[in-house]
Amino acid sequence: MTATTISRRTRRRRDRLRNLAFLSPWLLGTGLFFLYPLAATVYFSFMKYDGFTAPVANGVKNWQYVFEAYPFFWPALRNTLWLVLVVVTLRVVFGLAVGLLIVKIKRGAGMFRTLFYAPYLAPPVAATMAFAFLLNPGTGPVNTILGRLGLPQPGWFNDPTWSKPALTLLALWGIGDLMIIFMASLLDVPREQYEAAELDGAGALRRFRFVTLPNISPILVFAAVTGVIQTMQYYTEPFVAGKVASGQIGGSGQQVEPGYPDKSTLTLPQLVYNLGFQRFDTGAACVVALVLFVLAMAFAALLMRRGSGFLAMED
Amino acid sequence: MSDDTLTATHLRSATDLPSPRRQTVAPHRRRAILEWIGLHSLAVAAALFFVLPFVFVSLTALMSDQQALTRHLWPQTWEWHNVVTVWNTPGFLTWWRNTLFYAGLGTALTLLSSIPVAYALARFRFKGRSLALMVVISTMMLPPQVVIVPMYLFWAQQLHLSGSLWPLIIPLAFGDPFSIFLLRQFLLTVPKEYIDAAKVDGCGDFRALLRVVVPMIKPAIAATALFEFFSCWNDYFGPQIYASENPAAWTLSYGLESFKSAHHTNWNLTMTATLLIMAPVIVVFFFAQRAFIEGVTLTGVKG
Amino acid sequence: MHRFQRMATGATAAVVLAFVGSACTGSTTGGATDDPNAETTITFWHGWSAPSEVKAIQDTVDAFQAEFPNIHVNVVGNITDDKINQALRAGGSSAPDVVSSFTTDNVGQFCSSHVFADLTPFMEKSKVDPTATFPPALLGYTQYQGNQCSLPLLSDVYGLYYNKDDFKAAGISAPPKTLSEFKADAIKLTTPAGDSYSQLGFMPNYHGYESTVSHYAALWDPEYFTPDGKANVASDPALAAMFPWQKSMVDALGGYAKLEKYRSTFGDEFSSRNPFMTGQVSMAMDGEWRAGMIDDAGTNINYGVAPFPVPDDQAASYGKGYITGTIVGIASTSDKQNAAWEFVKFLTTDTQAVVNFANAIHNIPSTFAALKSPNVDQDPHFQSFIKVAQNPDSNTTPSSPNGGAYQLTLQDVGYGYESGKVTDLQSALQKAAEQIDTDIAQAQ
Repeated sequence: MTATTISRRTRRRRDRLRNLAFLSPWLLGTGLFFLYPLAATVYFSFMKYDGFTAPVANGVKNWQYVFEAYPFFWPALRNTLWLVLVVVTLRVVFGLAVGLLIVKIKRGAGMFRTLFYAPYLAPPVAATMAFAFLLNPGTGPVNTILGRLGLPQPGWFNDPTWSKPALTLLALWGIGDLMIIFMASLLDVPREQYEAAELDGAGALRRFRFVTLPNISPILVFAAVTGVIQTMQYYTEPFVAGKVASGQIGGSGQQVEPGYPDKSTLTLPQLVYNLGFQRFDTGAACVVALVLFVLAMAFAALLMRRGSGFLAMED
Repeated sequence: MSDDTLTATHLRSATDLPSPRRQTVAPHRRRAILEWIGLHSLAVAAALFFVLPFVFVSLTALMSDQQALTRHLWPQTWEWHNVVTVWNTPGFLTWWRNTLFYAGLGTALTLLSSIPVAYALARFRFKGRSLALMVVISTMMLPPQVVIVPMYLFWAQQLHLSGSLWPLIIPLAFGDPFSIFLLRQFLLTVPKEYIDAAKVDGCGDFRALLRVVVPMIKPAIAATALFEFFSCWNDYFGPQIYASENPAAWTLSYGLESFKSAHHTNWNLTMTATLLIMAPVIVVFFFAQRAFIEGVTLTGVKG
Repeated sequence: MHRFQRMATGATAAVVLAFVGSACTGSTTGGATDDPNAETTITFWHGWSAPSEVKAIQDTVDAFQAEFPNIHVNVVGNITDDKINQALRAGGSSAPDVVSSFTTDNVGQFCSSHVFADLTPFMEKSKVDPTATFPPALLGYTQYQGNQCSLPLLSDVYGLYYNKDDFKAAGISAPPKTLSEFKADAIKLTTPAGDSYSQLGFMPNYHGYESTVSHYAALWDPEYFTPDGKANVASDPALAAMFPWQKSMVDALGGYAKLEKYRSTFGDEFSSRNPFMTGQVSMAMDGEWRAGMIDDAGTNINYGVAPFPVPDDQAASYGKGYITGTIVGIASTSDKQNAAWEFVKFLTTDTQAVVNFANAIHNIPSTFAALKSPNVDQDPHFQSFIKVAQNPDSNTTPSSPNGGAYQLTLQDVGYGYESGKVTDLQSALQKAAEQIDTDIAQAQ
């Protein structure tokens, strides 16, 4: 053994120790707060456990129950699909439109930007409570104004056909995040390309189609995919809206109706709460959690592949 | 929908906030004026959409209870004491304290634990680094509900910490995936030469991180802190699961609901409380945004 | 890396096992050994939050402490049922000893999972005879399959609220006693205006606040379950009669769509904008607390209260109604169960305590003795509810091990049927019965 190999070896070992030292909090955290509970979730999905009496093996019964008999599962999935198709699309379109507007505007851009961004900062519970009040079908300001204009007054959070559109409005109100992202990417589009297109006689629409869109398409993909992932986590807004609109908070003798009205605001995360923390059916709750896990990871993988440029996986 | 996974580019965008003065000399002045009017009316319309909810909430917050659920939009009497009533609601101050505690301590722990990890992921070369990064990104996108059931049982039955905010704060001492990711993206932009220079001066990696890197990425740290603070402040699901069984541990987001009691809904008070919860976040951002942009400009870091 | 993965998997498996092995099971026997005469502090959770309600609770607690100075009660209000369930399972030092809940639907869950201790041994020890103390409907919703794991703490009784001025204007002299009279009156009291109403006799839709499936069904005295615990909803004549009756009301008053549109103009149920209080509807099915709310709101509406009308073929049972209420139980994780029992016994059986509390929060007293007490609020409105509470035919919804899930299932049938989406009622009920059985099997 020569001196150089020894020193290289010690250096490598020292490096490894250093890496471990730097990464240790995260490694521990990942183990404790991700890998362990994930393993436990898989374990419990095959158990019958009410959180009180000791768990017993239950085979695939929980899985069968969730997929075949749990009345909230398929409605929640259908709602998720609706939200993905409508809310995510509208948010991307609206976010882009507001971003374009902010970039184009000449006077008071700073003020408009702050105003447009502010709703995004409102705590979700507060924003949802506010919307539940604003959209109160009988006496809310929105229907009051619609009524004075002689327009139809929907039932919003109280009507199964309007509850998701009401949530959509709430989601569009908090468009600030996407607006900023699009604004930044729009400002990154090289001006020469616009000028060249203009010289070729391209109108505003053609310039948008052939210059703007190709330049911001990675951001569009990013916005869409993260939108889908957010939809997988969509919990506070539909939960609070349903609860407030049903008027059943603490109402005597009756259980709150999940997904009020008519299961139209159920989402998968709410099912985990319903099964795990209202019915205390730990097994079935873990089944739903795993479905949620698979869906979220599938879209995360999609983002890591399609959006790898953006995520800068490698330096 | 508010989740902070989207905010990776906020930082970048904030650095080059629009330079609105891009006036080109318009050959057709009239068309330009028309366009100006059109754009600005659109902007005003959009502003109404974003601002009116705040206006109506504020008006209702100052109405009497009887008026709150009528079709009158303008307060008939201005009930300024609603603010006092809400402020003096038993528990309201406790919720404030708890929220500040959760958000403040949570943010501090997140930064302490995430900076070294982000540094290692950005700067060190080791086997399994891209796997580690993939795990960071995956966990960042993981709905909290996926692991909540065993996590709750763990905190409640093993450690008897349910009914407090500790189950939400302690994990932040072990690195927060989103913060790690965000800081790493910034750390990638720190030129290697600076760190190498520091090392030549005899600094170890840790001291190089503290002395050279941290001061350089101050704006990123500020931004990460801001996002973490907001995400704790806005958190509803976490306190609902862990803190709800003990009113002494409630946060503002969770406590807001209690203005609806079993037999009555005080919409005016609920709206006052709503405003009182929204206000600090927006005020903090308003000031922090400026400090943040300044910081970014000063250090010249660009994402 | 592989080695690390293996290690990690091994470690997590070990942790999972360790964790499961020590899963908390609590003590489920009623064998409490603490000394109720010792100096001790018990924690009491309740769901009331309005200042007047909180004060009423505190007054009751003060009265208890005057009698039992050694037992200190730490009162925690504004607690919802989900939290109760959660905390009882978590145990620990901050967990409650005595718990009250508004959601009688959850009693089945509380009893069958044994998070509430069986109170029978305590009652035997203290010589409390439940059947001689509490009305049968109230005992019904506080136990599950013979396990009396909770006791009633005040009750809520449903009846008919009617607007006397509207009645006079429509030439109706007395509140209806049968459902056909009720329908005729509702039609008489209804004044359509375009595609809406200037006045509606009654809002029959299931989302019309308290006009729910279970509240209506009580008028026919349904058997939701067979004696062996299977869903009976597909073969129960009561439900088979109730759904078509409600649908006929919907059709007679203008149809589902038109009624729903009108319903969307209603204010919040628990506010002074309640449609009965604003005069938008002339009759309403509602609980006794509404009278207190009308009086508190200072609304000068001239109203009367009566038992809800009954099916024509059961006219003799007029006077009955749906009963539910608040329940109170003892956490089986509590190690102060004897002291807790003293408090529960006082809350639920001390006539003076029950009467005072009932008067303070406008709820119906929950013991035979308190119902008869001369100190009960003598307000005529309140007294008509007291009569409904004493009616032997008054009934409630039975408890089930998965809480009120079966009622939500039945409500779904109702929503489908009233809106016309479901036309074959029998097959919908058949499906509901299967769903209820599957849900219960999953919960057991």
